[in-house]
Amino acid sequence: MKLTAEQRAVLEGARGPYLAGCMRWLAEWGEVMGARRLIRCDNTHVLLPVPNLVARGASARTLETFTEGLKEACRHPVAPHCLATVHTLFVTLDELDVPENDPAQVRVQREIAEMAARAGYLPTFTCAPYLVGNVPLKGEICAWTESSAVVYANSILAARTTRHGNEGAIAASLLGAVPEFGVLLDENRKGTLRIQVTAGLRGPSDWGALGYFAGSAAGLGIPVFEGLRRPSQEEAKQLCAALATTGGVSMCHIVGVTPEAPTLEAAFQGAVPKQRIVFTDETLRQTYRSLSNATGDEIDTVILGCPHASLAEIARVARWLEGRRVAGGVRLWINAARATRAAAEAMGAAQVIQAAGGRILCDTCPTNMRIPCRRLVTDGFKQAHYARGMTGAEVIVASTHACLRAAITGRWQGDA
Amino acid sequence: MPERLVIRGRAVVKGRAEGQALVADAALSFWGEVDPVSGKVIGKGHPLEGESLAGRVLVIRSTRGSSATPMVLNLAKLEGVAPAAFINVEVDSLAALGAIVNGIPLMAELEQNPFEAIHTGDHVIVDADAGLVEIIPRDRPTARRRP
Repeated sequence: MKLTAEQRAVLEGARGPYLAGCMRWLAEWGEVMGARRLIRCDNTHVLLPVPNLVARGASARTLETFTEGLKEACRHPVAPHCLATVHTLFVTLDELDVPENDPAQVRVQREIAEMAARAGYLPTFTCAPYLVGNVPLKGEICAWTESSAVVYANSILAARTTRHGNEGAIAASLLGAVPEFGVLLDENRKGTLRIQVTAGLRGPSDWGALGYFAGSAAGLGIPVFEGLRRPSQEEAKQLCAALATTGGVSMCHIVGVTPEAPTLEAAFQGAVPKQRIVFTDETLRQTYRSLSNATGDEIDTVILGCPHASLAEIARVARWLEGRRVAGGVRLWINAARATRAAAEAMGAAQVIQAAGGRILCDTCPTNMRIPCRRLVTDGFKQAHYARGMTGAEVIVASTHACLRAAITGRWQGDA
Repeated sequence: MPERLVIRGRAVVKGRAEGQALVADAALSFWGEVDPVSGKVIGKGHPLEGESLAGRVLVIRSTRGSSATPMVLNLAKLEGVAPAAFINVEVDSLAALGAIVNGIPLMAELEQNPFEAIHTGDHVIVDADAGLVEIIPRDRPTARRRP
C-alpha cells in the first residue's frame, strides 16, 4: 500500500493524533485487504449510537469509554467535499413510553447528535440513507456502514462501497479517502454464483426470502439473479437487507436491473457458469418456514419498516389502516427516518396510523432497542432474523398485509 | 498425549494470542448474533448459540451480516469478553477492521482445513507474526461430534 507524501504526513501526526489514528486505520485496513492506495471518497454513512441498549448491563466504564470515542470523532470536521449521513441510533430521540428508552441515555445521544451536526454530519438517523437524500450516482466511491445499504448502493444504484465498519466510515468522512479494495474495483464486481429464480415473487417480503436464501449460499460472494422482473424500491430494499443478513454480501447483480448487468454475461464479466441454484416456489415457502418459529397464534408486536420504510410504504399502510384499529395490547411500529415521517405528517398518513393505534418509530428500530416482546410479526427477514436473538421473541415473517391483519386482530391467521 | 500440530496460514492481522478453540463451519455477525456484555452467541439456531466467545480462538468461515461487527467487538473488548484470536476461511472486510482496531490477531487460508484440524476445546496458539497456528489437541473421545 503506497501513501502519498501528504497522506504520510497525516499518518505521522501533521493534522493531530486523532487524524493520524484515522489514517492508520485506513492504511492498515487497506494493507490487509490488498489495497494499493487510498482514493478520494465523497460520500459516507457513519454510526454514532450511544450503546447502552445493545450493550445492556455493560459497565459504566465501558459505556463512558465508548461514548467518549464517539464524542472525540465528532470534534473533527467532516471533509468539505464529503456528504456524510448518520445511521440509526440505539434509542429514539422522541419521548416514547417504553421503559427501555432511558431519558439519561437520550440526553447523551442528543448531545452527540448536536456535536455531529456541528462537525458536518447530516442527522438522517436511518439505515436507508438512499431514501432521505443520500443517493450516490453510478461509480461514486462511498464509505457506508449498514450492511443492507451497502448492497443497495452497489447493486441498485451502481455506486461503490465496501462493507464499512464505523472506524473506516469515520476516517473516510474526516480524511475524504478510502482504501481501494474489493468492490471498488471493476474486477471484483463480477458475479460468483448464478441463481435462477422460477418462484413467483409477490411483494417485498418474497424478495426478502430470496435474499435470505441467497445470502447463505453466497457467503462473501456476489450472487447473480436471472429471471427476475424489475423490483419496486421496497422489494429491492428487502432483497439487499436479507442478502447481508445470512451472508456477508457486498453486492448482487439482478440481470436487466443492476446497471452493470444488462446481460448474464455482463454480470459475470464473461464466462457464465453452467452450474446454477434454482429458487423455486417450494424454496420460497421453505425459506419462510425456516425462519418463523412461533408456537402459537397470539401476537403482541408487529414491526414494519426494516430497513426503514419509504414514504410510499407508509402511505399504503395508512390507506389500509383507515377506519381500522390496532388490537388492544398489540404494538404496531413502523420504523422510518425522521424526514420520511415529516413527509408522512405533511400528507396526513402519519395521523391516520396514529389514530389507528400504530406508531412511526424514528431514529432506531426495535432490535437496536432490544425491545422485549413475546411474539413478533414482521415483513422484514432481517428484522425477524435478529429479533429472535435480540428480543427473545418468537417470530413470524409474512407479507405486509398479513402483518397488518395480525395487528388489528391480535392473532396470526396465516398469510393467504 | 495427543500430538501437537503446527499449520501455516496467511497472517491477516498481526499479533499473538492463545486460547481454547471454538469451532463452527459457519458465518457469524457480531451485532445481533453476539451479546457484547456476556460475550455469548445469541443468534437463534446458530451452531454456536449459547457458546461464550470470551478468550476463545474463534474458528469460523467468516463474519457476515451487520456492519456494526467492529463496534460490537469493541464493546466486547472493553467488557473483557472478546475472542482472543480469529481463524477464518475467508476474510470479510468487517472482521479485518474489527481485528485491527481492537488488536485481535486474525489468520486465514490455513494450509489445512481448519474445521478438520481444529476441534472445539483444543488449545490453540495463533502466532500471526510468524503466520503459524499451533494446535494442542484435547483428549478426543472416539465418537465425538463437532458443533
